[in-house]
Amino acid sequence: MTSCVVNQPMTEYLFSLYGKSVRYVTTSSFLVSPVQELLKYFRRDSLDESASLTLWFHAVQSRADIPLVMSPSARRLSSGTGAELGDRAETGLPYEVIHDSGRLIADFFNTGVLVIDGVQGRADGYLIRPETMPASLIEYLFHLVLIELLRHRGLYTIHATALEKNGRGVLIPGNSGRGKTTSFISLLRSGYRYLSDDHPLLRDAGDHVDLLPFPIKINVTEDTIAFFPELRNAPDHLLHPGFPKRAFYAEELYSTAIGEHCRPSLVMFPHVVDAPHSHLEPLSKSRALELLLPQALLVYDQDVARREFQVLAKLVQQVDCYRLHFGRDILDLPKLITPLLEEMR
Amino acid sequence: MFDTPHAFSSHDLADRLIDLTILDLTVLRPSPDVQGTNMDGETVLLDLSTGRYYTLNQLGSVIWAHCTDGNTISDIHAVLCDRFDVAPERALDDLVTLVNQLIQEGLLQQERR
Repeated sequence: MTSCVVNQPMTEYLFSLYGKSVRYVTTSSFLVSPVQELLKYFRRDSLDESASLTLWFHAVQSRADIPLVMSPSARRLSSGTGAELGDRAETGLPYEVIHDSGRLIADFFNTGVLVIDGVQGRADGYLIRPETMPASLIEYLFHLVLIELLRHRGLYTIHATALEKNGRGVLIPGNSGRGKTTSFISLLRSGYRYLSDDHPLLRDAGDHVDLLPFPIKINVTEDTIAFFPELRNAPDHLLHPGFPKRAFYAEELYSTAIGEHCRPSLVMFPHVVDAPHSHLEPLSKSRALELLLPQALLVYDQDVARREFQVLAKLVQQVDCYRLHFGRDILDLPKLITPLLEEMR
Repeated sequence: MFDTPHAFSSHDLADRLIDLTILDLTVLRPSPDVQGTNMDGETVLLDLSTGRYYTLNQLGSVIWAHCTDGNTISDIHAVLCDRFDVAPERALDDLVTLVNQLIQEGLLQQERR
C-alpha cells in the first residue's frame, strides 16, 4: 500500500525510564511537544545502549493512509468508549482492541490506530491529522502505547495518584469523582513528595514491590481547585487553563520535590461522604486486591497479565489497605494519614 | 462462598456438571488459564482467558487449595468434614455447589480417575 507516511522527515527523541531506554521517532512536528511534555523528567541526550523500546508516531491525512493489514486470525479482545482505559476527557473515544499475530492493535477509528508489538518492543502510532488534535489526546495515545510496552519489560502502571513521605509510599487508586485528586493534593500541600498524578509505576523487586515516580502535570477540576486557597488564587501561568480540567506542576505551586522510588506502605481507596470528618476503614487483603485489579489490569497478553497479577498481589501483601471515607475536613487529611505512616516506621 | 464482580455467563453447561455417583473417581484441577493468590484465608482468582476475577471465601479457598495433586471430590469432602464443624451432608452440598460454579465459569476442570 502506498502511503503518505513514509517520505516525511523523521526526528528522534531519547528517554530512559528506570533502566528501560526509549527511542521515539516521529514524522510530524505536531507529535513532538506532547510527548516531550509527558516524559520531561526522563529525557536523555544519548543512551548508553541501543533502545529497548522504539515508538514511531506517524501523521496521516486520512484513515486510508494507515498501512494496516490484518490477518484472518485477528480477534477482537475488547471494545468500548474508552472509559475503561482511564478517566480523562480523551478516554471517551470509541475504540476496539484487536490481537493479531502477536501484535496488539488499538483502533481509535477516525482518530488513529496504534500497533504494539510488546515482545519486539516496537510500536507504531498512526494519527489522523494530529495538527487538529489537542495535545492532551496525543499525550494520552502515546502513554497508552508506552505503558503497554513497559508492561512487557516488567514495569506496570496503576490508575492511582501516588506520594512519598520519608521513604514510604502512599497510593490512592480510583476513578474520577471519588476524591482521589483532592485527597492527593491535601497530602501534597502538607509536604508529601510527589510521585504521580494517575500513572505511578510498579516494579517487582523480589521480596517486595517498588513504587516509582512518573511525574506529570497534575490535572484538577474547578471543584477541586475550590477546596485549596493556593489553587484558587494561582495565576494562569502556574495553573494552566484547560477544559474540563486545568493543570499545574507540583513543584511550581508547592514546596515539594519529586519523590524517590520507595516501598509503598499504604493504599487507600477514597470515596466522598457527607460527613464533617474523614475516617479510615481497614480493608481485607482480598477485598483490596479486588478493588485494585480494575485500576491496573487489562488482560491482553496472558504471560504479562500473570506476572502483573503477581506483582499486584505482592503489593497488597506488603501494604496496609483502607477505604477512605473522605469527609468535609479536606485540609486536615494529613492529620489522619501521617500518624499512620509514622507508626509503620 | 463465591463472589464475583461480573455477571455469570448464562450459557447452559449442565452436561459438564459433576456426576454425583462417581465422586470418588472425579479428580479436580485448576484451569491452566487461572491465576490465584491466597490473601488472609481468602482466594482471589483471575481468569486470564476472560479477564474476569473472583473471590473465594475461606471455605471456598480450602476447596480450591485442595483441587490439586489428584485429589478427588470425595478426598476434598473428607478434608472439609475434618476441618470444619459441619454436617457431612451440608459440606457435600456446599462442595458440589461451588465446584459446579467453578466448572461452569471455566476455572476448574474435572477428569475421571
